Amino acid sequence: MQESMTAQQGRPTAAEPPSRSAPSAEPQTTRKRRQRSRGSGVLLLLAAPGIAWFLVFAYAPMAGLVVAFKNFDVSQGIFGSPWSGLDNFKYFVESGDAPAIVLNTLVLNILFLAATLGAGLALAIMLNELRARIFKKFMQSAIFFPYFVSPIVISIMLQVILAGAGGHGGAVNDALGLFSLPEVSWYTEPGPWPWILTIVKVWQLGGYMSVIFLAAITAIPEDVYEAAMLDGASRARMALSITLPLLKPTAAILIVLGVGRIFYGDFGTIFAIIGDNGTLFSTTDVIDTYVFRSLRTIGDFGTTAAIGLFQSVVGFILVTAAVLIQRRYSKESSIL
Amino acid sequence: MSTSITPKMIPAGTVEADQTMPRQQRRALAKPKTSVTGHPVRSGPGRRKSLRVEPFTAVSYVGVTVFGLFALIPLWMIVAGSLTAESTLARSGYSFFPEPFSLDAYVAIFSGTAVFEGYAATLFITFIGTALSLSATASLSWVIARGMPRISRPLTIFAYLPMLFTGGLVPLYLLVTQVLHLQNNWFAVILPHMMAPFLVFVAVSFFRQLPEEILDSARVDGAGELRVFFEIVLPLSKPILAVIGLFYAVSYWNEWFTAMLFISDPDKYPLQLMLQNLIANVTNAATLPGSGSVAPIYQLRLALTVVTIGPILLAYPFAQRYFVKGLTLGATKG
Repeated sequence: MQESMTAQQGRPTAAEPPSRSAPSAEPQTTRKRRQRSRGSGVLLLLAAPGIAWFLVFAYAPMAGLVVAFKNFDVSQGIFGSPWSGLDNFKYFVESGDAPAIVLNTLVLNILFLAATLGAGLALAIMLNELRARIFKKFMQSAIFFPYFVSPIVISIMLQVILAGAGGHGGAVNDALGLFSLPEVSWYTEPGPWPWILTIVKVWQLGGYMSVIFLAAITAIPEDVYEAAMLDGASRARMALSITLPLLKPTAAILIVLGVGRIFYGDFGTIFAIIGDNGTLFSTTDVIDTYVFRSLRTIGDFGTTAAIGLFQSVVGFILVTAAVLIQRRYSKESSIL
Repeated sequence: MSTSITPKMIPAGTVEADQTMPRQQRRALAKPKTSVTGHPVRSGPGRRKSLRVEPFTAVSYVGVTVFGLFALIPLWMIVAGSLTAESTLARSGYSFFPEPFSLDAYVAIFSGTAVFEGYAATLFITFIGTALSLSATASLSWVIARGMPRISRPLTIFAYLPMLFTGGLVPLYLLVTQVLHLQNNWFAVILPHMMAPFLVFVAVSFFRQLPEEILDSARVDGAGELRVFFEIVLPLSKPILAVIGLFYAVSYWNEWFTAMLFISDPDKYPLQLMLQNLIANVTNAATLPGSGSVAPIYQLRLALTVVTIGPILLAYPFAQRYFVKGLTLGATKG
């Protein structure tokens, strides 16, 4: 490695044509700069597909949000439709659905975030304790796998577990029967669903989070543990007093990212599981599913775009606030 | 979770391993690793001497095992159920052991053409999508990582903003159906997900770590920007490209919502959408295989699930470490 590096450093002077043998520093920098500016055109060409994608699929839809202020008519197009002021927003507010779905969105996402972070943290610390290599590898693979299972498949698994054919039976009910507890008709009971969905999210993301935390644990310097060991600390002590506090920054980043997504109620999973099961809406209908349903059933683009805009703006405010709070917090903790 | 021994990990007191030594020789020197106390230590994080099993360790074994079972049992129930006769499934809805054993559902699935068409759609979306995503992501990321004045910084913000603020469902729907007219086209599933800002930043942080000397020496030797990118940067970045490609591939494979929005022709349904249709409308199951006989609906549903996640299950043991690597990189670089 070192040898090849010196060889490369030696090369420029050798490659330099004799006419440019004048003091090397000046001409070389100008030449570099010239090369850079010549190359930048080509580089922009390289970036063009990506830039085009962002313009069409990320920025154009943002502009398309003007639909929220229009009385949209397909024949007149997005920009030709007449303005309607805040009518679309009024419609959403007056429908009376707003408080319930906003509350559901917040409650479910806070549950999801807290539960997946907690499970990931606990799993990472426990995985870190394991010494049997093959067992550890196997378990790590097993708990990470659900991350790759699609929401549709999750929904089928849940049906198998909660309800058998014809809406009764299912593994959980049979287990309840063993303790002579009454069967629950899960798919018609809205009450337990926030918890069921939380368990689903833990199943789906617990392993994923643990991988991130485990990576952060790997970065903790070894001598901290050695010092603790010399002081006679037990493993539980080390996990609680060394590993856990040192994982705070990682957890903070994940929380900030999670808070930014809090208004996007994990549409894929919730919609795949709940679908059009109206009896469960009272506890599981989030902004995303509401938007999609009203788009499909009412077909009113203006109103649904208005809800989408509301969602995006609140989400943006939340993530900005989270970043600012996290900055202040981490500054304070660095002083301590 | 790297197991390789780096010189940094060798505790004081052992022979210093020289950087210039061949790797095997370094390994050999590093082998008799001892901690300050003279006890042998294990490699990996948090390695401590373990003469007796502490309660916390025992709790950890139990906890991890419980979560491992929690993760695997639903999968097992799907696989076992898909091999269980319809009579049992119709009674209880699930089974832990395929008894009585039956392959009816698989026979039904593979006797029709629907599944093969679904596979073709999913494979098209996954392969073409991943190829497009990977090339667009890699080239945009390189231009950002290249650090050019007046170009790279605005591009960073340009790619970062959509992570914070999105147009949402309605404008996207209008864009695809009214402007691009991509209904019933597989590209309607591919294009909306073609770039993931998060993966762009994973690639950028990897590209920034590439040794500048190699790139500079190539430039001095007269290689143009394109040549540097294609012949030096890309070959050096194979590991991260594999990671990013796998992430894209899995998300295309599992994508169903965009397909549901834009694809209405059942002949063009990808696998996930076929499966979703089976849940939404169980009676569809009877008509799916294209055979006239009464199909084992519940078993069929589970069998189709197995067929859908099969490739992921098969590839997972080999691909898993790449995912871990990618996540680790993304996590530590923020």
